[in-house]
Amino acid sequence: MDYLYGLSQTIGVHTILGLSAYVVLQTGQVSLAQAAFYGVGAYVAAMLTTLWGQNIVVAIAGAAVVSAALAALAGFPALRFKGLMLVVATMALGEAVREFFFNFDFQIAKGNLKVGPAGAEGFRQIRYFFDRGWTTGEVAGFIWLFVAGIMALLWWMDRSRIGAVLRAVGEDELAAQSVGINLTAVKVSAFAIGGAVAGMGGALYAHYTTHIEHNYFGVLTATFAIAYPILGGLGGVFGTLIAVLFVQGFLIYGLPDFIVRLSTLAENELGVTLDWLKQHASDIRNFSFGLLILAIMNWRPRGVIDERVVRLFGRLFAPRSPHA
Amino acid sequence: MVLVQAIIDGILVGTTYALIGIGFTLIFGVMHKLNLAYASASIAGAFLSLVAWQQFPWLPVPLVFLVAAAGAGALGYVIYLTCFRFIPLKSPLATLMATVGMLIFLDEVVTHISDGKAQNFPGMVPDERWTLGPLDLRVDYLLVFAISVIAMLLLLAVLYRTRLGIATRAVAQQPVAAQLCGISLDRTNAATFVISGVLGGLAGAMIGSSAELLSNLLPLQLTVKGLIVTVIGGLGSIPGAIVAGLLVGAFEKGIETWSVLARDLCVMLLIFVFLVAKPAGIFGKLNVRD
Repeated sequence: MDYLYGLSQTIGVHTILGLSAYVVLQTGQVSLAQAAFYGVGAYVAAMLTTLWGQNIVVAIAGAAVVSAALAALAGFPALRFKGLMLVVATMALGEAVREFFFNFDFQIAKGNLKVGPAGAEGFRQIRYFFDRGWTTGEVAGFIWLFVAGIMALLWWMDRSRIGAVLRAVGEDELAAQSVGINLTAVKVSAFAIGGAVAGMGGALYAHYTTHIEHNYFGVLTATFAIAYPILGGLGGVFGTLIAVLFVQGFLIYGLPDFIVRLSTLAENELGVTLDWLKQHASDIRNFSFGLLILAIMNWRPRGVIDERVVRLFGRLFAPRSPHA
Repeated sequence: MVLVQAIIDGILVGTTYALIGIGFTLIFGVMHKLNLAYASASIAGAFLSLVAWQQFPWLPVPLVFLVAAAGAGALGYVIYLTCFRFIPLKSPLATLMATVGMLIFLDEVVTHISDGKAQNFPGMVPDERWTLGPLDLRVDYLLVFAISVIAMLLLLAVLYRTRLGIATRAVAQQPVAAQLCGISLDRTNAATFVISGVLGGLAGAMIGSSAELLSNLLPLQLTVKGLIVTVIGGLGSIPGAIVAGLLVGAFEKGIETWSVLARDLCVMLLIFVFLVAKPAGIFGKLNVRD
């Protein structure tokens, strides 16, 4: 049971990470800096609780503010570029932040123990939940509280004028500009919102893993961040959640087990031996990971839950109008 | 003097970065899309040649290089088929993500072949050095430089002296007009992917050979470096990629004489300087559309 709680924690923070990229992607920008904002949030929150004994909620708020500020600051120069140049600019920013944490040493003596970020070794002993005796289930519930809150907020944003403006910029910048939308303001705001969300995700991540390292906040995590919304589709927030459930829950956690069970079943039913399949279950998982992403993108270029699916569902649940 | 030595080494080795940058830039030139799987395909090609060398240790080094080039070229075609051919042009995010999927897959293949650690790779002329006054030149670096220059000249000859080159440049300029002139977009794009793959495979093999080690961490590192070179040089500009490759190589080695830890951070700062001061890159025309 604890393992499942652990898995749900992972899925929760990854959903937040994906949602942070979702906001930015809605304006048509591909940002590979989300992992950096996530990392800044993780370090800031962990320092607030561990070094200065703040409450976790205060720490998460602090992380969101600092990450959003960094995102907005980085947004101004970075958003001079579009498309590819932005991908590379944000990637460079992300790597620079990661390199900063690699060299970041700031330790304080707590009793007979030194705590704090220690460069390449990372930041150990983030024991907030542990010291207060939270169970894994409680931590998972706490994380999902934030996931639900952020999802609700973004869902509301999507349906409001703000969402329409973001999408307008994403679909056609020239058209958006000619109806009087200030492109820079919209893009920087989207960046800042994405940064705040990523910061909160990072803060939660730091506290449930208790040990953070610069390595984790590199290009790979940044790629995952944009992968979830692209795979899930930009039609709505639930696409991101489904993509995270699929990637973290099924591909990474469930698939090897699934292969073993399926081949055992086949052995019993068909009387064949499938030892090779069973032994290499996790290898098969690793290899099929990238290939499945490839297949999904060929099958549904706009993501699994794209705008059409959302409209379809919307019509399904809409109150019947007398004219229909 | 240490600095001069380091910068010369950097320029010599920087030619491999230039090759990778050319690959990114070529594909961007014709497709206006980013192929993120490119650098990992190059390293995967190098690992294929490593497998060939481990199976047949008598294989001469030039042949190993050829295997790497051929393997990466074939992978380039596979990437074109799986990530670009059937995805509509209107979904740039889908192609980007598909190449990420390919990157993850190739990375996994490399991890599998390498057993998760760096593997020995045949060196060209181990430990041979030329002394030139106070300078001490490694012969294998010189060879890397020479091979890269030859490969670049061959590429330019293909681009400017053959029908395929004319087609490639036409597609890069105006795909619709090129099609109206009877040029097959599909074949031209595929050829571009194969050509850039060959260059990448060669670069990957040379990187392995000059260190006599092929690291399984190279795909990600080289993707980052290649993209940096492409942007500094200017998207779609081949001379830009060459100059930027040499520049980044020299800059890296120069910083290394001061601090190895700060190297990557300084490279990132370099790209920021370029993005702010000269966003179009060294030779690129600023094209804000994507």
